[in-house]
Amino acid sequence: MLIEAIDLHRIYRMGENEVHALRGVSFSIERGEFVSIIGPSGSGKSTLMHIMGCLDRPTSGSYILDGTPIEGLDDKRLSRLRNRKVGFVFQSFNLIQQLNVVENVEVPLVYMEMDRHERRERALQMLEAVGLGHRSQHKPNELSGGENQRVAIARALVTDPDLILADEPTGNLDTKTGQEIMELLKRLHEQGKTLIMVTHDLEKAKWSSRFIHMKDGKILHDFRDTDGADIVGMFYESTAEQEAQ
Amino acid sequence: MAHKMRSLLTTLGVIFGVAAVIAMLSIGEGAKRDALEQIRLLGTNNIRINAVKLTGDKAREAESKYSDGLSYKDGLLIRSNVPSVRAVTPIRFVDAPVMKGNKESAARVIGTDHLYTEVTNFSVDDGRFITPLDISEAKRVCVIGSKVKRELFGFRSPIGHRIRIGEEWFRVVGVMETKRLREGKASIIKIRDINRDIYIPITTALKRFRDEEKPFFVNEIAVQVKSAELVEPTARIIRRLLKRTHREVQDYEIIIPAELLAQSRRTQRVFNIVMGSIAAISLLVGGIGIMNIMLASVTERTKEIGIRRALGATEQDILGQFLNETVLISATGGIIGIVLGVVMAKVINIFAGWETVIALYSVLVSFGISAMVGIIFGIYPARKAAQMDPIAALRFE
Repeated sequence: MLIEAIDLHRIYRMGENEVHALRGVSFSIERGEFVSIIGPSGSGKSTLMHIMGCLDRPTSGSYILDGTPIEGLDDKRLSRLRNRKVGFVFQSFNLIQQLNVVENVEVPLVYMEMDRHERRERALQMLEAVGLGHRSQHKPNELSGGENQRVAIARALVTDPDLILADEPTGNLDTKTGQEIMELLKRLHEQGKTLIMVTHDLEKAKWSSRFIHMKDGKILHDFRDTDGADIVGMFYESTAEQEAQ
Repeated sequence: MAHKMRSLLTTLGVIFGVAAVIAMLSIGEGAKRDALEQIRLLGTNNIRINAVKLTGDKAREAESKYSDGLSYKDGLLIRSNVPSVRAVTPIRFVDAPVMKGNKESAARVIGTDHLYTEVTNFSVDDGRFITPLDISEAKRVCVIGSKVKRELFGFRSPIGHRIRIGEEWFRVVGVMETKRLREGKASIIKIRDINRDIYIPITTALKRFRDEEKPFFVNEIAVQVKSAELVEPTARIIRRLLKRTHREVQDYEIIIPAELLAQSRRTQRVFNIVMGSIAAISLLVGGIGIMNIMLASVTERTKEIGIRRALGATEQDILGQFLNETVLISATGGIIGIVLGVVMAKVINIFAGWETVIALYSVLVSFGISAMVGIIFGIYPARKAAQMDPIAALRFE
């Protein structure tokens, strides 16, 4: 088991008000799964992703990543865990504009304290793997959106993490480029990577093998083995079911 | 580093602060060496007694008390009454033109005795100095400075030749060694170019260039004390002695080079405090400027901080990154400031004529200070960056 979440709660304090972003979420994910988390905005899916990526901690409940419970870890250990085990892919790519493409890919390796030459070599290999070897010296703003996202994926993969967390990876891309990125992610899944994708696009969720529907900080439904199944149909069924209650 | 111009402007405070430190220390160091050299010239074990020209009421008072100024007799009195004195030599300036044939020299004629070389640590290069016999017989002989020799004789030996001083003919018996002198204009003690001096026996000076009103008048008396510790008490004794013989008329002043040195150090300290304050204020303002720009930079780069945190940077990593940048900026400012300071020291040297010396320690101190400014004023922005919530930073647009 790669991920185990037990009764996660997350409460934000906004002045006088308390916002319950997660209200008791439990699930587990095995190695090699490709999971989509779907839900409307405010459903808690982003909060869940931040906790899974070790960027945030639950207010209560426990989160165990690859056998390591994150409660009680200090900033240094949590950051190291994030660095080694997790690769993030964001909707808006989140590349550092001042750095060129290969330097961007190297950033996670800097925090692994890898030496300069090895770092460059690994980063170039990764860029080669996503088909951008020839763009290594360009600045991100000289590249197209699709290329930017490929760089971000290369950056997520460069530390050879156990888990790839993708937050609306195609949200800023046109349909055709989005398709290409999804194919790239699919290929990673086929190579045995564990992928978790947060999206509100049902069409993209179809690519995954498992599908978690969230609403109001809770898991509404968790569909397994969705390969070839009618995800859209299941989603509407689950929503209707919810509304009927 | 997209804001090179902005960073440069930010560091101006540090640049000027460091430049001020460098320039200040170079002036201080130069003045110290200058003073030391001049005091060495006067002799650290020496006491000088200078005649003071009185005017108005004081001159009338001196007349009524029958004090006829500093005299050769004062010197003899000191020599015979103060046991801690090793040697006493009188110095009397003779105001007369120096000629050889048609050539005139801008030399200064000084009547003194055989002890002059010993007291002033200044010796003869060629021939001999004035002897006790020259004094007792008031001979018309002279010893000339190296520059006078060059002016009047070129490269020929002047020994045995005659030159005219005023209306009298003098035979040259010796040439003094060349004394190297700094060309410092802001010297604490005015020193004439002793290479332009001509020495004649004091007795000859008093007799041949007689001042009818004050026949034994001398301009200076140089006293050499047996050891450095005795300078202070000896000066006290001499002061008491002269007070009595001059009937409390202050027509002389006693100068102790060692005391002048101490005084110049006090002046130096005031100067250092003033310049140090200017430098400190400049560095403070510079530091605040850097802090300000770094705070702006932290806000501007919130997104980058979020990204780096997501990719595994610890709070410590972010702190280090921003602290490094601040120190880099201020240390760069420090280096520019050091260069500017060296240039300033040179300019001061050329235009104000002050001696300036750049010591290695002042460069190291300045560089250290600039790096310290970076650390002190970089801590706050760097902590702010490190303590940012990574999720909020990632969402920042």
